[in-house]
Formats: sequence, C-alpha cells, structure tokens
Amino acid sequence: MTGTEGGPARGRNGRLELDPDRVGRDLVCLVLTVVELLRQLMERQALHRCDQGDVTDEQEERIGTTLMLLNERMDELCAQHGLTRDDLNLDLGPLGTLLER
Amino acid sequence: MTRTVEQPGPRQPLRTETSAAVATYVFAVCRGGDPAAVAGLPGQAPGTPVRLLRFGSLEAVVQDVPAAEFDAENLRERLADRAELERCARAHHSVIAAMAGSAPTLPLPLATLYLGDERARVALRADERRFLAVLKRITGRVEWGVKVYARPEAKQEPDRSAEAAGAPGSGAPGSGAAGSGARSGRAYLERVRGARQDRERRQQAGLAAAEAVDRALRGIAVASRRLRTHETTLTGERGVQLLNAAYLVAEGDEHDVAAAVREVRRSPACRSVEVEVTGPWVPYSFVDGSFVDGGEPDARG
Repeated sequence: MTGTEGGPARGRNGRLELDPDRVGRDLVCLVLTVVELLRQLMERQALHRCDQGDVTDEQEERIGTTLMLLNERMDELCAQHGLTRDDLNLDLGPLGTLLER
Repeated sequence: MTRTVEQPGPRQPLRTETSAAVATYVFAVCRGGDPAAVAGLPGQAPGTPVRLLRFGSLEAVVQDVPAAEFDAENLRERLADRAELERCARAHHSVIAAMAGSAPTLPLPLATLYLGDERARVALRADERRFLAVLKRITGRVEWGVKVYARPEAKQEPDRSAEAAGAPGSGAPGSGAAGSGARSGRAYLERVRGARQDRERRQQAGLAAAEAVDRALRGIAVASRRLRTHETTLTGERGVQLLNAAYLVAEGDEHDVAAAVREVRRSPACRSVEVEVTGPWVPYSFVDGSFVDGGEPDARG
C-alpha cells in the first residue's frame, strides 16, 4: 500500500479515496500484505531452523516445498486481484516499510 | 548527532486570527536588504508589493496578504494539497532567493504570519538576538543538498529470485513448471537464503556508500545536517533514498564541493548508488536556533 502506480488508490493529495470498488481492492491488498508478512516470517524462521541443523534433510525438503507452493499461491492471488508484490507493503514513515524491499 | 526534520514546512505555530482583513506574511529576515531586490515579485498575494519592514537593527521581508485566505483552517487545507503546497513553497522561495542575492538573508518557515505589521515587529524583535546569531553563522555561506539513492537496477526483488527457484535446481530451467513434484524444496530454500544474503549485502553496501558520501562532504562543510529521507512514493523511479543531507559550505567553495562529489562518485564504495547534488541554496536547513556549527544541537537553546 505504498501508493505506487497501479497500486491502491491514493488521491492527488496522498489521501485514500473512498470509492467503494477501490475500498474493496484496498482491503484485499491489506489482507494480502498481512499474509505476505506471515509468509516471509515463516520463510525466515525455516531458514533459521535449517541453519541450526536441527531439521532432517527430509523435513527440510518438505518445508521448502511447502514454502515454494505458498509463494506460488501468493503470486496467483496477486494476479487474481491485479496486484503486484510491490503493492503489498505498508510505508511506516521513518521506520521504513513493513516488508523488506 | 544528527536530527531528523521535515522541511520545508510550517514549523512554527500559525499566529492568525480571522478578524483582520489583512495579515502580514513574513518571508525572511535580512540585514541591509535592498527593497528593489524583491519589489516586483508576486510573492504569496500577487498584486500587493513585497516590501521591507524594519525592526531593531534588521529588516523583515513581508507582504500584506488577505487574512481570510491565510487563516489557520484555510491554510491547513491549502498546504495539504500537494499542487498548492508546491505553488506556495515556490513563491516563498523565489522571494527569499531574490533577497539573498542582495543581503545576508535568514529564511523563515513557510506560512509565518502575523496580524499586521505592528504585531510582526513586536514578535520579530523578541527574536532579534537569535536572528543576529544565525545571520552571523550563515553570512557568506550557502547550503548544498546531497541525496544518495540505491541504483534501481542493483536492487532485485527477493521474491522474483525466489520465484525463479520454482525451476529445478539442476536441469533445464522452466521444466519445473510442468509438475511441482519434480522441484526441490531444498533448492528453493537455498535460493531464498541466497536472495536474503544478497539483499543484506546490498543494504550494507548502500549504507556504507551513504556514510562515505557524508564523510567526504562533512570534510569541507562548516556544518552538516542529516534530514529525513524521502518516501519511495516521492522519489518516483529512483531507488530507495539512503541519504538526504544538507551541508553549510563557504560561498565560493563550489569547486571543493564538486571535487568531493566527483571523487566520492568514483570510489568503489559508491558503485551501487547514485549521488545527487543540488545547490547552492539559501541555508534553509541551518537557520534553526538549535543548531551550532558542526551540526550539534545547541544546549543553550
């Protein structure tokens, strides 16, 4: 929701516009942003666990496959709603962005 | 220490009331200014002259503006509109820049308003000592703005690389799209890890480059100030802004600035960034009373 071109509705003044269609789209975008945040956290946690070496090769393979499918599913969901991964973010001002760029 | 501020913007409370028909808009404070330098400018209210108002040993660059258009509510509304904000800021700046060409000039924040000349004079007089101190600091000096951006092409979306991991780690790329069972989860994790490490490296390199640029310019500056970096929505097609800084440099040292920037651009640390330099400006970032040379906040206030 950084208001990038083609992204969620940001008015001329940087305000959100309350057009019903756009509100729906913004809501989808917000939900997907949260899902994406969780996905990235899971990915990070998985890497961390694998690095620590307390996961068997078989488990690692399973975790990796799951995350890969989840990643693909995110792409599909974004495509369905006409969003890109770049749209799934929140600008937190001086704190930077919610998701890493 | 550096401080983060947003500028330009109304930093002082707006001293307005709706009753008076005419308010006094103050652009700047100067010493020995030439009225002719700003006489013909439109300012914030085209039609009324931009003039000098004496107070103590200094002058204020002022203009009569319709009070109704500049009351707190209207002003808030107008400055929230990006196009209108730009128009006001440009008008403000053009008066300040014109006066700075004729005399040492201390710019005041956008939308500094008083209810008439008398009130303006009283308020400005109360600040005279601070104005004198700041004028002393900025006389004969100019501000240079330096921004550092990560090069967009150097920045690759981690998810894109992870996406590419959908292809099998070995074998022909693309064939993985046919059946997910053939793809390796471990290879995917490996790619995600690689992308993460790349990004961390890039971030480190970007920050190191920003520090290198800042160091080089601090070397020739009288004072420096790190400003808040702009959001990506404002920087448009450019990459992420890594540094937004202002340097107070002696007038006539343009060559030193240019040389420092040229050198730092050539350095290996700055390969992945773009360095943008603007100036010379009237020292907007160094008129705050809380700053002394070296950029340290002034404890004496």
